[in-house]
Amino acid sequence: MRKHLLALGAVLALSPCLLAQKIGVINSMSGPEAPIGEHITNGIKLAEEDLKKKGINLQLVWEDDTGKPQISMSAMEKLATRDNVVGVVGPYTSACSNAVAKLAEKYRVPLLIPAAAKEEITRQGLKYVFRMNAPADKYASSLIDAASSLGKPKTIAFIYENTDFGTSTTKTAKEYVAKKGMQVVADEPYPKGAADYRSTLAKVKSKNPDLVFMVSYVADAILLMRQSKEVGLQPQAFLGAGAGFTTPEFAKERAISEDVISCTQWTGDVNWPGAKEFEARFKAKFGKEPTYHAACAYASMIIMAETAKKAGDRVKTRDALKAGKWNGVMGEVQFADYEGFTNQNNHQMLVQQIINGNYETVLPAKFATKKAVFPFPKWK
Amino acid sequence: MAVFLQSLISGVLIGGVYALIGIGLTLIFGVMRVVNFAHGDIMMVGMYLTYLLFTLMGIDPFVSVLISFPLMFLFGGFLQKVFINRVLNAVAQNQILLTIGLGLIMSNTVMLIFTSDYKILTTSYSSSTIQVGGGVSVSVPLLVSFLITAAITAALGWFLLKTDTGQAIRATAQDRDAAQLMGINVSRMSVIAFGLGAALAGTAGALISPTYYIFPQVGSTFTLKAFVITVLGGMGSVVGATLGGILIGVTESMSAVYISSGWKDVVVFVLFLLVLLFKPSGLMGKSRT
Repeated sequence: MRKHLLALGAVLALSPCLLAQKIGVINSMSGPEAPIGEHITNGIKLAEEDLKKKGINLQLVWEDDTGKPQISMSAMEKLATRDNVVGVVGPYTSACSNAVAKLAEKYRVPLLIPAAAKEEITRQGLKYVFRMNAPADKYASSLIDAASSLGKPKTIAFIYENTDFGTSTTKTAKEYVAKKGMQVVADEPYPKGAADYRSTLAKVKSKNPDLVFMVSYVADAILLMRQSKEVGLQPQAFLGAGAGFTTPEFAKERAISEDVISCTQWTGDVNWPGAKEFEARFKAKFGKEPTYHAACAYASMIIMAETAKKAGDRVKTRDALKAGKWNGVMGEVQFADYEGFTNQNNHQMLVQQIINGNYETVLPAKFATKKAVFPFPKWK
Repeated sequence: MAVFLQSLISGVLIGGVYALIGIGLTLIFGVMRVVNFAHGDIMMVGMYLTYLLFTLMGIDPFVSVLISFPLMFLFGGFLQKVFINRVLNAVAQNQILLTIGLGLIMSNTVMLIFTSDYKILTTSYSSSTIQVGGGVSVSVPLLVSFLITAAITAALGWFLLKTDTGQAIRATAQDRDAAQLMGINVSRMSVIAFGLGAALAGTAGALISPTYYIFPQVGSTFTLKAFVITVLGGMGSVVGATLGGILIGVTESMSAVYISSGWKDVVVFVLFLLVLLFKPSGLMGKSRT
């Protein structure tokens, strides 16, 4: 009888481990951010599959924030109080992540943000908030570092959309360039959707910059490059920092996109463990090339699930995330405190160049598959 | 100097396309006294028509003008007969509401069909140029569209000045009642004028699509531009709209170079206000009492 009681007690004590742990996912599955949200969803689904193979049965609680911060916040409240999750992966956008981060701190739920760029999110000293991807300031610095390592550029011209996105990216870039001792010879914000950038580009051309740094979305990226070719703007390198320079649509325009340099969080051909396999499996399963968001989400879910499984409760999971070190599809991951950031993975950005119509990783050298083309070849 | 010439040339060339949009609007206003706020959206329909002809049938955007011009003419005529005609004698607010509403319906219908993704037409000559020397280059597609614009404007001028129908349209524009008393079928002239206006806007859309991009909301930018051009040149004046278009094109590109690209719209509107201040009827307009 006593033995039985003991056994029963042991079972009761272990039962939280026997029951599958719940992990929350907040993502933009509908609404304007849905196309990217889909990649995040698929990345997490792939992680779920792989975790099952390792014997970790996940119980995921999915919440759709439709891209709106207020809905994201109520999703977090629900996950923290009603579903009693041990940790949360998400949300996608910067606005949602920033709103949810403070709630995660309030409820003491470990939150792992896979792919939101706004710097501020991990700069508020929040102990329960972790971020996988590199924040926005890394885009500018890694591009300029890349150009400096390839040649000796002394002058730089900025051409960017006069929106929050364009001006903030350019602002960090300008501060970085000033530290590097480069001279800004042209600073041209433009209103989105203008039909004619030729005069602006002709002006930039007359300053003869070594580097041209552009921030724009898809359509403008193509127009700007077309018209750069028209007016014969010929720097040592075109650096595309904005979303528009890293899309398949842009790469397809081979006459004007060839040899343009851009940077990203992740590429399918990088030699991080499992990256190539991840790309192949993702493509086979979902019929689409994964974006970096998918890889970030995949790695985030793997890390969160494995850590939570070992740790057990929220506080221990937080401590384990803070102390841990991983190496996977996103390269080495460690959540560190540096330069005012808290629990920020100091992620290595990859610099890519369009070579023969494909994005190829060219820098840093140890992850590269191709050698960079520098300086930019003469327009044909 | 090269920068000056470069921006002057691209300003004039892009101004030519602006002029075509403005002429369409001014023609409609002249004949019917209706400000067509759906003008940019009609242009957008022309752009998608060009896009469809190019992607589905492989017809070159410049050649497709031959197809889109008559189609857009019919579309404009249909709009006039079914909708605009009913508000000709209504108060101005109602006319504005109707045309804005028509524009919204067009842009949202197109969005349902094509989604709000940006479309880019890539032709073999999309980024080809001619070097004119001194480091100045001219965009081939822009030059071709300017030449087509010039030809269409010349043909339109001839049509309005020399043909009977053209004279009837001008008579209607001068005085609707008097024209009717002289035996001119003014309601038919209205249909023709709106059709022509829509065809010109659609053509401008076709001409600009090899060098620009296409999305359902593209119209509003051009409606505003067309409005400024028309008022600047003088409401109802074809010559004024041509001048106004080129003036706006050159002002935009000059101010982008010598002030800042971010300020070019401000410069355009300051110029616009100045013209209104000193010559309220516009550059070529005759004040009407």
